[in-house]
Amino acid sequence: MNLDSLIHAEIDGEITPEQHAQLEDLLRADWQSRQRYLELADQHARLLQQPTVNTGRLQKAPLRHSSRRWLPALTAAAAVIVCAFIFWPKHSSETEATSNGVAMLSQTMDARFTTTLRSGDTLKPGTIHLTQGLAQIEFFSGATALVEGSAEIEILSAWEARCLSGRVRVHVPPAAKGFLMHAPGMKLEDLGTEFALNVKDNTSSVHVFEGEVIAHTNEKTPASLKQGMSLSSLKSTITTPQDFLSISELHGLVKQRDTQRFADWQQWSLTASKDPRLIAYYTFKHLEDDRWDRLVKNVTEPRHPQRAGGAVGAAWTQGRWPEKTALEFKRPGDRVRLNLDGTYQALTLACWVKVDSVDKKYNSLLLTDGYDNGEPHWQIYEDGSLMFSIMYRPAEAAKNAKYNQMYFSKPVFTADSLGRWHHLAVTYDNTTGEVSQYFDGQPVGHEISPLHQPGRAIVFGPCEIGNWGLPTQGHQFPIRNLNGAIDEFAIFSNVLSPSEISDLYDHGKPD
Amino acid sequence: MPDSPTSTEALVLLLTQHQEPLFRYIFSLVPREADARDILQETSLALYRKFAEYDTTRPFLPWAYRFAYLQVQKHREKSARSPLLFSEDVMDLLASERSHIEPRLDERLRLLDACLQKLTAQDQELVTSRYAMRQSAEEMMARFSLSRRTLFRNLELLRQRLHECVTRQLQSEGLA
Repeated sequence: MNLDSLIHAEIDGEITPEQHAQLEDLLRADWQSRQRYLELADQHARLLQQPTVNTGRLQKAPLRHSSRRWLPALTAAAAVIVCAFIFWPKHSSETEATSNGVAMLSQTMDARFTTTLRSGDTLKPGTIHLTQGLAQIEFFSGATALVEGSAEIEILSAWEARCLSGRVRVHVPPAAKGFLMHAPGMKLEDLGTEFALNVKDNTSSVHVFEGEVIAHTNEKTPASLKQGMSLSSLKSTITTPQDFLSISELHGLVKQRDTQRFADWQQWSLTASKDPRLIAYYTFKHLEDDRWDRLVKNVTEPRHPQRAGGAVGAAWTQGRWPEKTALEFKRPGDRVRLNLDGTYQALTLACWVKVDSVDKKYNSLLLTDGYDNGEPHWQIYEDGSLMFSIMYRPAEAAKNAKYNQMYFSKPVFTADSLGRWHHLAVTYDNTTGEVSQYFDGQPVGHEISPLHQPGRAIVFGPCEIGNWGLPTQGHQFPIRNLNGAIDEFAIFSNVLSPSEISDLYDHGKPD
Repeated sequence: MPDSPTSTEALVLLLTQHQEPLFRYIFSLVPREADARDILQETSLALYRKFAEYDTTRPFLPWAYRFAYLQVQKHREKSARSPLLFSEDVMDLLASERSHIEPRLDERLRLLDACLQKLTAQDQELVTSRYAMRQSAEEMMARFSLSRRTLFRNLELLRQRLHECVTRQLQSEGLA
C-alpha cells in the first residue's frame, strides 16, 4: 500500500499491525510524509467535529469561534470542572504551591549573577547569587531590596527573604508592613521602614534608617529598633549608615550609565550609517523641526532620502534610554510606510524592539505589501517564535506545489522577554538559501527551505514596519499590527556574519 | 486560586474556545477518536489542576499542547502493548513537525468548509453518514450496498478529493 492508503487505513482504524509498522517507517523517513499524514489526520479530526456536518446539513456556517457552536462543549467543559471540584479538592493546595513569581529584578548596575538574570526578570522563590554590581529587587508585596555584590539572597515569598551573605538595603512601604527578612542569628520584622543588613561570615548586623524594625534574636524578648539604631549578632561588629549605598545613589548611577550608553550608541550609529551594505537605516529620531511629525528618516550615508519612512498612527515614545525616541505600535492602523527600490541577492534585517504582547497570530516586524515573488515577510508568530518567509511562486504553479519558503526560530518571546528591549535579526542568502535568525545577538534558528532554488532575486517595493497594509485586492487579511515599540531598524543588502550581528547587539543593548 | 469563580470561568472560556484545535492536536498523535476524546478529557482536568500556573499574557494553545502531549504519553504507557499506537519517536517527530506547519493546517481548515459545499450529492451523503450520523461500517455497508473494502476505498477517495480541493484553493489564494 502507498503512503496515502496507509494513512487512510490508520485514521479509519482499518490498519493491520504490519501496515501500521510500515506507516511508522515512512513517517520516520521524511518530513514530507509527516506533513501529508498531519494534513490528512487534521482534516479527518475536523470532520469528526465539524458542526455543519454534525447536524446533517451541509450549509454555509460561520467558520470559527462562533459562540453557539460550542454550547455542547461548554457544557462538557463545565462538567469536567464540576467533576474536578468533586474529585480533586485536596489537590488544590498542590496547585497553589506552584507560583509564577514573587518578585522582579527591577534594576541592575554592572550586575553579574551566577545564573542568567537580566533586569526585568520575574523572580521565583529561590536563591540569587550576585557576584558583582548592584541589583534592585522589588517584591510583589511592595517591599524593595537594594543588593550589593557579592551577595546571596534567598527569596522565600513576596513577603519573606533571607540574606545569606552580603549587604542589602530594604525599603518597606506601609502596604508591605510585616515583611520578614531572615539573617544568620536574627529575623527582622519590618514595620514600615528602611533598614540595612550586612551579613558576613555568618554574623549579621542591622541598621535602621527610618521607622521601626522588630528584631527577633536568640534573646528572649525581641528588640525594637528605631531610627538610627544598630544591632549586631556579634557585639564586636558595628554597622554604620555609611556602609550602605542609598537607592538615590543607585538611581544616579543608572542615570549616568544610561546617558553614557546612549552617547556611545550615537557615536557608533553615526559610523554604522556609512556601511555601504545598508539599504536603509532608521534610528527613529523624533525630529523636532518636522512640522508633520511623521518623518522616519533614513540616515544612511550616502543619503537615500527617497527611502525615508512615513509614520501612520504610531506615536512617539521613549526608546531604550530616556533620551532615545521610539515609535509605538498599538492600534490596528499603526505603521511606518516605506518604499525600498532595488533588487538584491541577500538581506539582513535587524531591529531593536520592545514587544508588549504577542497577541495576534502574526505580529508584524517588516512586511511587503501583498506577497509577490521575491518579497520577504518578517513577523513574530503567536507562539513567540520569529518567522521569516519569502515568496516564490512559479509562473504555473504545479499541482500540490508549495512555494512559500518559511522559516521559524525557536520561541523567543516568553512572559519574561515581553515588555523589554530586544535585538532581533534575520539573514537570508539567495544562493545558499540559508536563513539565520538571531535574538539578542545569539543564533536561534538556522535553516534552508526545501523549496529553495538558487539565484531568485529579493525585492521590497512598498512595505511597512509594524503592520501589514494595502493587501492584494479581494482578500480578507487578519489584523497583524505589532503590539510594542521599535527604536532602530536596519536593512542590509548582504548577509551579516554571526559576529557582526552579535556586535550590533553589543553596541545597542540598553545596559 | 483555581476555585475562584473568575479563574474557573476563564478556564471554561479558554477550553471552549480551544477545544477543537486541542482535539486536533491530540488526534494527530493518537488517531483513534475514542482514545483522543479520553485524552482530551484528561488534558482538560490537567489544565484545570495547573491553571494557576497559566500566564494569561501568553497564548493558551502552546501551553495547553504541553499538557496534551503529557497525557498522550500517559495513554501510551497505559496501553503500551497495543501494536497500533505510534512509537514515542514517531510521536515526537509528528508533534514537532506539526508545530511548524500549524499555521498552514489552520489555513487548510478555513478552506475545507467551502470544499465540503462543492462535493457531489453522493459524496455529501457519505460525509453525512460517516461524520454526522456516526454510522458504523456495517450500517454504511448495508445502507450503500457496498463491500467493506469498497466502502473504505470510497471514504479514502472522498477525503483525498477534499484534500486536493483545499490544496488548490490555497494555491489560488497564494497564501500560506
